[in-house]
Amino acid sequence: MRTGLLGGIALLGTLAVAACGGSSNATTPTPASGTPAAAATGNPTSAVTLHESGSSLLYPFLEELVAPLTQAYSNITLAPAPGGSGKGISDAIAGATSFGGSDAYLSPGQASQNATLENIPIAVSAQAVNYNLPGITNLKLSGGVLAKIYKGTITKWNDSAIAALNPGVTLPATGIIPVRRLDGSGDTFIFTSLLSATDPSWSSGPGFGTTINWPAVSSEQSAMGNPAMVATCSKSQNVGCVAYIGVSAEASALSAGLGEAELQNQAGNFVTPTQTAIEAAVAAAAGSTPANLRQSLIYSNGAQAYPIVNFEYIIVNTTQTDANTALAIRTFLSWAIDPNGGSQSQFLQKEDFVGLPSSVIPKVQAAIAAIKG
Amino acid sequence: MSVIHAQSGGPAAGLLRRRGAGGELTRADRALRAVGAVAAAVPGALLAFLLIILVLTAIPAIVFSGLDFFTKSAFSLGNLYATTTVTHNGVAAPPGASYGGLAFIVGTLATSLIALALAVPISVGGVLILTEWFPRRVQNALSVFLELLAGIPSVVFGLWGVSIFGPWAAVHVYPTLSHVGAVVPWLKGPVGTGEGLLTASLVLTVMIIPIIASTTRELLRRVPILSREGALALGMTRHETVKVVTLPYIRTGIIAAALLGWARALGETIAVLLIIGNANVLPHTVFSQTGTIAATIAAVLDSALTDATGMGVHALAELGLFLLILSVITNLAGRLVVRRVTGGVLPVGRGI
Repeated sequence: MRTGLLGGIALLGTLAVAACGGSSNATTPTPASGTPAAAATGNPTSAVTLHESGSSLLYPFLEELVAPLTQAYSNITLAPAPGGSGKGISDAIAGATSFGGSDAYLSPGQASQNATLENIPIAVSAQAVNYNLPGITNLKLSGGVLAKIYKGTITKWNDSAIAALNPGVTLPATGIIPVRRLDGSGDTFIFTSLLSATDPSWSSGPGFGTTINWPAVSSEQSAMGNPAMVATCSKSQNVGCVAYIGVSAEASALSAGLGEAELQNQAGNFVTPTQTAIEAAVAAAAGSTPANLRQSLIYSNGAQAYPIVNFEYIIVNTTQTDANTALAIRTFLSWAIDPNGGSQSQFLQKEDFVGLPSSVIPKVQAAIAAIKG
Repeated sequence: MSVIHAQSGGPAAGLLRRRGAGGELTRADRALRAVGAVAAAVPGALLAFLLIILVLTAIPAIVFSGLDFFTKSAFSLGNLYATTTVTHNGVAAPPGASYGGLAFIVGTLATSLIALALAVPISVGGVLILTEWFPRRVQNALSVFLELLAGIPSVVFGLWGVSIFGPWAAVHVYPTLSHVGAVVPWLKGPVGTGEGLLTASLVLTVMIIPIIASTTRELLRRVPILSREGALALGMTRHETVKVVTLPYIRTGIIAAALLGWARALGETIAVLLIIGNANVLPHTVFSQTGTIAATIAAVLDSALTDATGMGVHALAELGLFLLILSVITNLAGRLVVRRVTGGVLPVGRGI
């Protein structure tokens, strides 16, 4: 009996040590780099696989870059995976992946707790609001109306608030089915950022984040990931649904029969997420990008600016385990933002992304140079 | 090696003498006993370990929320992007954070209890009818079918629920059901689009029927044939035999089977996550969107891990701890009921 008890306690102890072993994440902060030196890049000496997880908005773009990257640098293989921006950030913090993909920048709390973590933008993306109303094109919506829809205050498409934005359009009396993301999502982050920016009661209520406390709406649907948002909204029994879908899934949304809404920007104009509109949004904000690159491009100024625009961030640790991995990551990131590398128009346009504005590139390069092994 | 003394004391004494004068065991016996003891200690050790880790992780949230966990339904991680934190009861959390678990507790209990209330009569009644009125070949086919159904992964049920069953039921079944809402307040509309408490409960019912039905079938097999033949000989009808002989015999076993089914329904995560709507609201009607503890933990965990104060994970651990304690309590309560009814141990897998 004593042997059994001791054995059980020993097992308990081993499990406890194993469980508690990987929890501490304290790393000493590296001193800030003085001059913005050009990052040392090049093909690593041995093969490196860079694992990534996170944003399903960024994922199709990274998938596109896998083959060209290995063509340019034979020893670097990129292995991206979706899962939502929340997962991307948490995996990067835990060190489970080489870096995470996120539509949301690091929060002040996360940044101060993980002093060696950086968020490095590699592209500019946007988000569309799609709807399932056969026969209705060019529907105009605003952040305030969307907030009321997702709160359940506006329940039918022919509501006076929507009709006021769409003069001359006969809207059906169909019930509205708002679709939202289940997973920790950067798309939720940027969509709710717009709702918070345009509706004060939303800002003080559900607020914004990768996961929020959504108000209960009886007809709502939920989905995990952008492709599922498209699939759920385009189902024939979900006529009347509205969903927020990242532009990289926009082609499939349009071919599934969903309409793309024109959103009202801060200047009062209604715009769709075209290249010009996205570039206008980022141009308005580019001059004031901070060195830590945490910037919201939501609801920016500009007559033709699209209201839901965001940087696509790579969340990466500046202290890597070895020099080879650090080199691989620096090389990938520098290549990704290079207009002759990953940021060629053929890759960006396929996802409706836009390249980084030239005023932001030096700051991004400084951040890349800080990654050391 | 000592010689077996066949004469004195019988086989036990002979065995003792063979082992040695002091009654020591051989090395092989000792090794077996040690291995067996460790193996026996593992379940208890694991449960204790899990409980300790959960309690330690949940303590900050327990201190922060206090009794609000049981009385408030608002569960929100707060503004994770704020630059300040809010301190309550000495614990810092993001502004706007509140960790009330009432909505999820009610959702968990409501879905699992509705599922149980529907599954037990269906399983037990169905299996009884099949064993009494149908030939053995059909019964064997049923066994195979139940094993297959029990083996289907939960996520497949969730997928079926969200893409086929929910939308179909919302159009064809729920509107009719909501007319009864004039009399029963819980059945009042609006009916929604298929995601909600009732759809989740119905899918859970389908998931726990195989467990309860296959256990009931095993129990029915063990009803002594002599008692049933005696009842027949006395001139009892099939219905009377079932009522007087079979059911009392398997009663405690059904309680055990129902507990197993309830345990599965309580912990079901992915299927419920896909179809319950994950709204942090107390359900008013069966068509309401609400949430369960397991589904909430799965949905919110990734975002909770990005909470710099760490309170997100602590709050989810508090929810998980509640679920664990609930499971343990229901198990113990079940045993108590069985003891009251029979005075014996839970006859899992055998009749009394």
